[in-house]
Amino acid sequence: MSNAVTQSILVVGGGMSGLSAAIEAAEAGHEVYLVEKNPYLGGRVAQLHQYFPKLCPPYCGLEINFRRIKANPKIRFYTMAEVTGISGEAGNFDVSIQMNPRYVDEKCTGCNKCAEACTLEIDNPFNYGMDKIKAAYLPHDMAFPLRYVLDPSLVGSDEAQKVKDSCPYNAIDLTMEAKTVDLKVGAVVWASGWKPYDAEKMETLGFPRNQNVITNVMMERLAAWNGPTQGKILRPSDGKAPETVAFVQCAGSRDQNNLAFCSTICCMASMKQATYVREQYPDAKVYIFYIDIRAMDRLEDFYTTVKKDSNIQFFKGKVAKIDEDPATKNVTLRVEDTTAGSLHEITVDMAVLATGMQPNTSDDPIPASVSYDDYGFAASMEAKPGVFAAGCTRTPSGVSESVQDGTAAALKAIQAIARR
Amino acid sequence: MSNRVDPNLVSDLEAFGLKDAHKCYNCGNCTAICPLATPENPFPRKMVRYIQLGQKEKILRSPEPWLCYYCGDCSTHCPRGADPGETMMVTRRYLTSLYDWTGFSRKFYTSERFEIMAISVVALLVGMALLIFNTGNPNWEEAAINSLWPAEKIEIADLVMASVLSFLLLSNVFRCFRFIMGDLSFKIPLRLYASEFKELILHTITQKRFSKCSDGMQWFVHLMIMTGYASIFLLVVVFIRWFQRDLPEYPLSHPIRLLGYYATFAIMYGTTYAIIGRIKKKKPVYKNSHSTDWMFLILLQLTTLTGIFIHFARLLNWPATTYFLYVVHLMIAVPMLVLEVPFAKWAHLAYRPVVIYLLRVREKFEQEKPPPAVDTAGVEREGTSQGST
Repeated sequence: MSNAVTQSILVVGGGMSGLSAAIEAAEAGHEVYLVEKNPYLGGRVAQLHQYFPKLCPPYCGLEINFRRIKANPKIRFYTMAEVTGISGEAGNFDVSIQMNPRYVDEKCTGCNKCAEACTLEIDNPFNYGMDKIKAAYLPHDMAFPLRYVLDPSLVGSDEAQKVKDSCPYNAIDLTMEAKTVDLKVGAVVWASGWKPYDAEKMETLGFPRNQNVITNVMMERLAAWNGPTQGKILRPSDGKAPETVAFVQCAGSRDQNNLAFCSTICCMASMKQATYVREQYPDAKVYIFYIDIRAMDRLEDFYTTVKKDSNIQFFKGKVAKIDEDPATKNVTLRVEDTTAGSLHEITVDMAVLATGMQPNTSDDPIPASVSYDDYGFAASMEAKPGVFAAGCTRTPSGVSESVQDGTAAALKAIQAIARR
Repeated sequence: MSNRVDPNLVSDLEAFGLKDAHKCYNCGNCTAICPLATPENPFPRKMVRYIQLGQKEKILRSPEPWLCYYCGDCSTHCPRGADPGETMMVTRRYLTSLYDWTGFSRKFYTSERFEIMAISVVALLVGMALLIFNTGNPNWEEAAINSLWPAEKIEIADLVMASVLSFLLLSNVFRCFRFIMGDLSFKIPLRLYASEFKELILHTITQKRFSKCSDGMQWFVHLMIMTGYASIFLLVVVFIRWFQRDLPEYPLSHPIRLLGYYATFAIMYGTTYAIIGRIKKKKPVYKNSHSTDWMFLILLQLTTLTGIFIHFARLLNWPATTYFLYVVHLMIAVPMLVLEVPFAKWAHLAYRPVVIYLLRVREKFEQEKPPPAVDTAGVEREGTSQGST
């Protein structure tokens, strides 16, 4: 559009898609504002233990992207920030960004003194509430930016002053308040990503009533070295090493009462997690209960490899019900083997629900007139002229598709404002 | 074993109310959620699968439809909206028509017009019979039904009707027995049939399997309708001499009168609950109503209502009204019994307990047999791995 008043691009979401879009657009010469809701960049990928296709630890891939951001003066990023309004048209958008208070400014060196001074603890959001963390905290070990955060519950408490005084660099500001920043941008890439579908909605699967029923995202944290168990897969009720683990596929997915679509990644995720279990426990037995296995393209190779493990049993049938034995805390799954037509009750040490990806836009839509499909995904990449949906805002996708999609959206955004 | 596929099965079953079975993607959630499904008799997916594959013969030999009481859990939790609970209901209607050797049941289920015609014809015949066969000397001073249609004569008609109904129903039950038991029918010693007979009685009276369903209310309502119906059937067929009484009425505490009141209340309560449920369509069991479901409820409620009116007309001593209502009452009650008991929804009162009883007998027989070579049905198949998708 030749009448673009600015060449800058707003990227919303600092996950894999947003990072890719921001970096690619900046490296192509555009000024980029990257807005992230969390106190750190990296999104859901930072919370994984390993990711496809090469099963790398995510810090490796994220590290490269963070370096590209640090090296590029054209990218400005805002963490703990949300876009509250978009008005105008392609080439000339006015956007409002709300900056939520972190209570810690750029003087922070990550020395950990505030956390040491703090006794108040909160559920650790990075580990999906499986452990506690100090209310003055670094979100995770390699958080970028490397800057601590004070939880609002601490700021209001008696301890606040003590924590503030503990900082040798005077980086804590208890009076910090939410503020709004207005920007003018030429195009927007919206990549606010996904959240795990709420497993509590599948009442019969007994999450979280049954202690040893967890979700797939929790399993990633259990397996990760910086997780609540330092990477040992232990069952939550008693910290015992599980001898049998069941993966429950389509927990809410392809279900018109829950998420009616297939997220396409959960089969691969569960197979990957089955290998986590098998690597840690050579005698452990793993069940994967599925309706259909989705292993697309070259990922089918991984499926073939996993199937060769005789301790991993692929069991065709959807788990309808999970009950806990109050004494042993083992869980019993009721499932029909649909190849034989036989009904089974199978007891395991722990069960992992493969919940699907719910687009964040289904609850927090883009603040502009954009159309969505039935499930809350943006109906097309060009959500409206000058606004582009990327990654899981557009369709459920894995890490490598998100990188591709983010790059594609960056290119579209550049095209929308390019001087011709 | 030969495996004959009936390609028209699905379209055939649509006439019996089949709607959403084609949506099923065979995940097995319904069978695994069902509180009544067992490793020996897993359902409802088995029936849905048979339907999808055109396995008419297998459906015919399946006891499972009669083991389901339609709590609706399977339909509520079905990820595809394939309504397996209703599919089970459809197979019960279908089996009722297959068990019936006269072919009448099939017509009744598959054609609303036939259903209404049949009921109208029987009603007219009953009305004409009452007008032709009577004493011709009614008491116009006092409401005395016996002055026109004496209880002893009605008793004879009752017995004739009961014999015909029993013959038709029992012959259909025998066919049900042959289909369910197959080759075992006459191999199992009579002794076992006799010793397990108590099961038949127990299940007929208590329907205790139904109480295992998650929705206890349905069991209660069903029990009300059943006991109410059984009580009134006893009164009008066995105790008609005492039941069809002219003034003075029995005292309130008389067992006949009390039983009559119980039956009236129980049926009115049960049918009203079911009718409201079928109008509101909130519970899965009431979401889909076949014409025969409505016919069943309407005839039963109208029979009871006219019965109540007769009772009051008698107590008020209005002869003409009483006689008129009596004719109307029988014009509704008789078609209901004659058509519904052997050919339609009422028939389940026999098939359900009989099938449970037969399975029990078969189970005992297999227990007594020397250990069978392979019994794969209930054994968990540990270690088997099917990786195919």
